[in-house]
Amino acid sequence: MNKLENASDIQLGRRVGSVLIFLFLLLGAVVMLFPIYMGLLNSVKTQSEMLTNILSFPKELQWGNYPSAFKKIHFFRSLGNTIQIAGVGLIGIIVCASLAGYKLSRTKGKLSASLFALFILSMLIPFHSIMITLVKITKQLSIQGSIYGLGMLYIGLGVSMAIFLYHGFVKSIPRDLDEAAIIDGCSEFKLFYAVIFPLLLPVTATIAILNLLWIWNDFLLPLLMLTNSDHYTLLLSTNMLFGEYSNDWSNILASLILAMLPVVIFYLFLQKYILNGIAEGAIKG
Amino acid sequence: MTSKTKWKPTLILLAFVFPALLFYSIFVLAPSFGGVWYSLTDWNGLNPDYDMVGLGNYVEALTEDRFFLDSIWFTLKYVVFMVVLSNFFAILLAVFIESQKRSKVWFRTIFFMPNMLSLIIGGFMWMFIFTKVLPFIAEHTIFKFLDQSWIGDPKLSFYALLILSLWSGVGYLMVIYIAALQGVPQQLKEAAAIDGANSWQTFRNITMPMIYPALTIGLFVTLNSSFKVFEAVFALTGGGPGRATQVIALNIYEEAFSQSSRYGYASAKAMILFLIVFMITIVQLWIMKKREVEA
Repeated sequence: MNKLENASDIQLGRRVGSVLIFLFLLLGAVVMLFPIYMGLLNSVKTQSEMLTNILSFPKELQWGNYPSAFKKIHFFRSLGNTIQIAGVGLIGIIVCASLAGYKLSRTKGKLSASLFALFILSMLIPFHSIMITLVKITKQLSIQGSIYGLGMLYIGLGVSMAIFLYHGFVKSIPRDLDEAAIIDGCSEFKLFYAVIFPLLLPVTATIAILNLLWIWNDFLLPLLMLTNSDHYTLLLSTNMLFGEYSNDWSNILASLILAMLPVVIFYLFLQKYILNGIAEGAIKG
Repeated sequence: MTSKTKWKPTLILLAFVFPALLFYSIFVLAPSFGGVWYSLTDWNGLNPDYDMVGLGNYVEALTEDRFFLDSIWFTLKYVVFMVVLSNFFAILLAVFIESQKRSKVWFRTIFFMPNMLSLIIGGFMWMFIFTKVLPFIAEHTIFKFLDQSWIGDPKLSFYALLILSLWSGVGYLMVIYIAALQGVPQQLKEAAAIDGANSWQTFRNITMPMIYPALTIGLFVTLNSSFKVFEAVFALTGGGPGRATQVIALNIYEEAFSQSSRYGYASAKAMILFLIVFMITIVQLWIMKKREVEA
């Protein structure tokens, strides 16, 4: 009897504990979403309604802030610029790093090992330590201010981590495959793009997600590189709007919501892959 | 073997590595070595002529430059708070979320969400919360203590900065810890429960040791990223009030691009930041090696 009571006590205790944990998490979730909710809520109010009651639901939805924010941050132009920069960077990183990572992983010897070490070394260098000289170099190459130039910078800065991930992944692909293809008369390069590259797909997906998020959300490098506002990314346009109309909150909030929209949609659709990619990238990197 | 076939593998290797090496050399290696060189000069960015000043820039930065020294101390304080708090909350969240059943996926989605957003966007959103929403709540409810100058008061702006950074960063660490927790074998926990261990004992003696490797990763991820903090400060406080929340990266940025254009001097500061991050990484590698040997 006594034992039974104890058992049900423990069970009750477990259940209460679980409910408390749930409530704690719920509170945490509210805090996490609070700024986004507040932004959304006040982006559909007029400035004066916002000032009289910031917390309440608007009496009437005022969508008017959106067209004006849309124009002020040049949404489509900024989005297009961001996509082009990320596109050049991503494709470049994947092409360059998969080639290098594959061959470095397959080749033995001092040269290969030192080249690999040279690439890995830069993971120790903070971006802020090289940015000053980097700006000077881009001026000398006259690619400062260019969207494609900026995309190429991301190739140089992102290639190390991608090579590291490819290098590790290639080890899991049997060498027999390479040898069989070579015996069949495959050239080195054809072997790579017809046989090896398709097998790298899982790690390519991880690399694509990590780098896309990095480039998309990067602020400092575009700030240093893009001099003409026609070339601004979404973040730069938003930052500029904030500087110009720092008190017009309903407009600013609408532009912030617009600027985060692409990322949020991307996240909600590809959540599973993104979370896996993050965990893998962190643990292996 | 003829010399041609002997050299072939090397040539193929170089051909495969060349594109990556090209971009890497121009945009990473060249500016790294260039940075070291310029840090020893009085180059001002415009004038093509400059003189060598030896270690003068380093001496000036570390002895005379009050603002730079303050920014180092402020960054150190920020790093300590971030390393402790973000890992504490991330482990707590990971353990709690993993203990839930149906709501697990939802919570994970929500807590990671802020990490997807740029700190520039997050910073502006929190600026709205700190300057408009909190004062409003203080005025109209019983939470009078919220009526503070969150951004304008040097003491409070530090906490505002921490809140923004935790909000944005905790989800990332949480994902790492969740991955580690999912690696803990279920049988181990069940065995402990049969032996009469309570939740805390199970956590302390089974879960914690299993996530130690993840903890090492988490600690160094936060150490590294907190030393390099820039965007959170840029968006939320701009380094202010005055220079109260200026971090190292922002100090370098302003020295080079918005105030004096003393590129040589700013390069020396950039090298000091590199040395700090470099030392941390060496310690990290040393500890990881040691652990591997022990394990």
